[in-house]
This record gives sequence, C-alpha cells and structure tokens, in this order.
Amino acid sequence: MTETTERAYPPGTEYPFGPRPVHEAAEQYHRIAADRPMTKMTMPFGGDVWVIHRNQAARDMLGDTRFVREPFRTGERVVPYFVEFPDFLKTTIQFEDPPHHTKLRRLVQRSISPKRVRAMRESAVEFANHLIDEMVSKGSPANLVEEYALGLPIQMLSNLLGVPPEDRPKFERWAASTLATANMPEERIANDMLELIGYMSGLIEERRREPREDLLSDLANARDKDESLTDDEIMPIALILIIAGFDNTANFISTGVAALLHHDAQRELLLTDVDGLMPTAVEEILRHGGWALGTPVGGGGGLVPFVATEDVVIDGQLIAAGEAVLIDPTAVAHDGIVLPDDAEFDITRQNNPQLTLSYGLHHCLGAPLARMEMQVGIGELFKRLPQLRLAGEIRWNRDHLSQPMVELPVAW
Amino acid sequence: MPKVFYTQPDGAERVVDGKVGDSVMRTAVQNGVAGIVGQCGGVLSCATCHVFLAEGELDAYPPVSEDEDEMLDCAATDREPNSRLSCQLVLREGTDVHVTIPPEQL
Repeated sequence: MTETTERAYPPGTEYPFGPRPVHEAAEQYHRIAADRPMTKMTMPFGGDVWVIHRNQAARDMLGDTRFVREPFRTGERVVPYFVEFPDFLKTTIQFEDPPHHTKLRRLVQRSISPKRVRAMRESAVEFANHLIDEMVSKGSPANLVEEYALGLPIQMLSNLLGVPPEDRPKFERWAASTLATANMPEERIANDMLELIGYMSGLIEERRREPREDLLSDLANARDKDESLTDDEIMPIALILIIAGFDNTANFISTGVAALLHHDAQRELLLTDVDGLMPTAVEEILRHGGWALGTPVGGGGGLVPFVATEDVVIDGQLIAAGEAVLIDPTAVAHDGIVLPDDAEFDITRQNNPQLTLSYGLHHCLGAPLARMEMQVGIGELFKRLPQLRLAGEIRWNRDHLSQPMVELPVAW
Repeated sequence: MPKVFYTQPDGAERVVDGKVGDSVMRTAVQNGVAGIVGQCGGVLSCATCHVFLAEGELDAYPPVSEDEDEMLDCAATDREPNSRLSCQLVLREGTDVHVTIPPEQL
C-alpha cells in the first residue's frame, strides 16, 4: 500500500479543514503557508475575517497600531468569531485601544509583572504540593482537572486579586458560569454574573477603604496622572483576569500533563531534570500540547480579531480599511517556516516562537503568571508522582467558550 | 551593518548582523536568540526584553524614559544601573551593541 492510499484526506491548501492525523494537519498547514500568508474565511458569526497563517506575518500584524478593536467595542462592527462574543467580554481591556488601553494596562501590569509573579512562586509550589497531598490521600485514580489543575490557578488568582479564602467556592462557581455558552440556563448565567459583579464591587469598595497588598487594592487606589480608576473601569479588568486567569491556565496545565502522559520518551526526559526543563517544556506545551494528545487536528482556530483603520499590506496581501483580521495560533506555530520539525513534541526546544499568548499591544496580560503556574503545576506533579499514568478517556466540554478539558483520569 | 553581541548568563556569546532601524529586541527575536522574549512587541508593556548594556555604550543611546523606567522595575531579574529594555535600543549604522541577557525574563 502506498503512502497516498493510506491517507484519509490528502493534504491540500483549503482552509478551514476538518480533523485529520497530526502529521497530515501539519503538512496541510505547511502547504497553506507556502501558498499564501492569509485566507479570507467566513465565520459563523460576524461575517468575513482574514486569518493569518505565517508566523512573521502574524507578528507584523500584531505589532502594527493601524489594527484596532474599537469598532467591536462600540458595536460599529460585529466581532467575526466562532461563537457570538458575549457583550460583557467586549467591555474588557482586550477591546480597548490606546491611549485608554495603555493607561489600564500599565496599572495592571505592575501588579502582575514578572517581578511580582516571581515573588508568588514559592507559595504556588507550596499550594501545588498541598493539592497533591489531598489528591493522593483520596487515592488513585483521580480526575486531575478537578483535583488539581483548576485548584492552583484559582488559588493564585484569588491571592492576586485579594479574594478571601472562605469566599473562593462561590467565586469559582460564578466565574465558571460566565464562560458557559450552552447547556446552562441563561437566567442562571445572568444571575451568577450579577452576583459576581456585586461581590467584586463590594470587595473593591472595601479595598478602597482599607488597602491591602493585592491587585484590587492597587486598582482601587490607583493614581495615573492624578486620575483614579472608576469602578466601571476596574470591573472589566477584574472580570477578564478572572476569566483568562484560571480557566485558560487550568486548561494549559491539564493539556500539558496529558501531552506528557502521551509521550513516554519526553516524559522520561523531563524526569531527569524537571526544574531545568520545565521552562522550555511549557513553551512547547503552549505551542503544540493539544496536538501532542494524538487526536486528529482540524484547521480553523483563531484569537480575537482586529480591524484595519486604513489599507495595510502585510506580507504582500492587502487588508482593506474596515476589514477584520486575526491570527490562527496553531497555524503560525506550524507554518513550516519558523521551526524545523514543527509536528514533533520536543520539550527541549530553545527557540519556540509560539503565539498562543499573542504578541504586541494585546499580548496576554497574565502571561508571566500563566507560565509560572504551568511550570510549577506540571513540574511539582511529576516530581511527586513520576509514575503518573493515564487511567481512562480524556473528555472536553465543547459547550464552553474555551472548550476546556473536564476529565483527565490519572493513576499513580 | 551593525552587529549585536548577545552574551548569555552562562557567558556564551552570539553575534548577529542587525539592520539599521531595528531594535536589539527585534533582532534577537527574529534570530532566535534565547532569553529575550519581547512579548509586547516593543510597546513598553511586558518587561521581557531586559538586558544589561555594556557600560561603555550607555551614552550612545537616549536615556531611559519614564515609561521604560517603570517597566524596568517590573523585570524578573533585578535591575542594575546599566539595565535597559532592548526594544528601546535602536541600531545605528556603524555602531555595534554589546548586551548581556539576565538569568530570568519571566
């Protein structure tokens, strides 16, 4: 039998494309990127958008201030996306442009900077081990998502924001509800959102009266060129941190553990020097962790789009004024140009230009925190339980905006 | 063509031919120099392109601005008197740059 007849779907250059084996998906991404820097795609919501496939073209676009998000925020344009973007998410910092974006971002940046995150590392290690102790005491097997991956980012985010420990369970429930896109009654989502906003408002007011060493205190008492932030400005920042701050990170941790459990040689390599290899392992998990699970991969993902304020040529392609453009982070990590062997899971890669956490003005605000939590979360787990193994089928929740992993059965 | 000399924390040096008008950060990122992340693309909002500029070259560049100063305080490795964000060091014709990369950027 020839290689060609073994293929279920001979790789072409069409985009988007349905699920196919990892190496075929990579081959198709290479062909697309060789063929053109971007494709115009009609999204399920909001019409057409240019989707960028080449890594350098993506960086050029993300670094170009002629691409903005204001038309989405004002409602002048619908956000072209896979699901309808909830209104409350359009009030967050990611839909702001300079100069207001710059003001908000600087304020938050100080509280979540690499330096501040470094200071949080020790407590993250301590809490990760506490979670492992609890999981082990309950006995093998366990659902790692529930028992471990969610707990660490929630604890870190609560510490950062200043949520009192006794309020964490309800805080977690409200926050999870804000990301549900299906299978949850609208009334419940609305109620949970209102409760969360009410709770955070109370906390902001309290911190304004009695500041502590936390982010909400910093925001509530911020002075930027003699101008304080209003509650209306603080709330969307707090909300985006909650949403991006634990849900995504928990999913990255689960995906990373699952990827390592699927790759014996890489896991064994990691175990020879966990602390030394975790930084590069984390970059590789961000780039390729989802592919490393061995399940078929489709093409057509993307980060939140921008709108061109004037005609702009990127990598030879004209993006006309008013058109929307986004990057497909999977494509730009597998364009066949920036990395050799980009279909391989290699935790030792030194040069890993993945854009999963974006780049430029709107790069992930919590990137240092997410990276630290992944390094600690995955690293401590394998140090404590080097014999960890898969104990069943992985399951995802596809009715959720971020489609997180909800079951990762493991044994030790 | 200006050259950029990048010294890693372990002393290993890498020399890259730069392009006039590019920054030391952009030159590093485009050439896969380890240890310079530059995630914000040069808009002074991530502090992940921190470098130590050679003492003899400090006067060759505009001084640290208020915004750069603020971000240097956020860097993962404590700043030194010769700390700069490499996105603010723009290459000029006939001027080589020597920088040392700090042990931690994130």
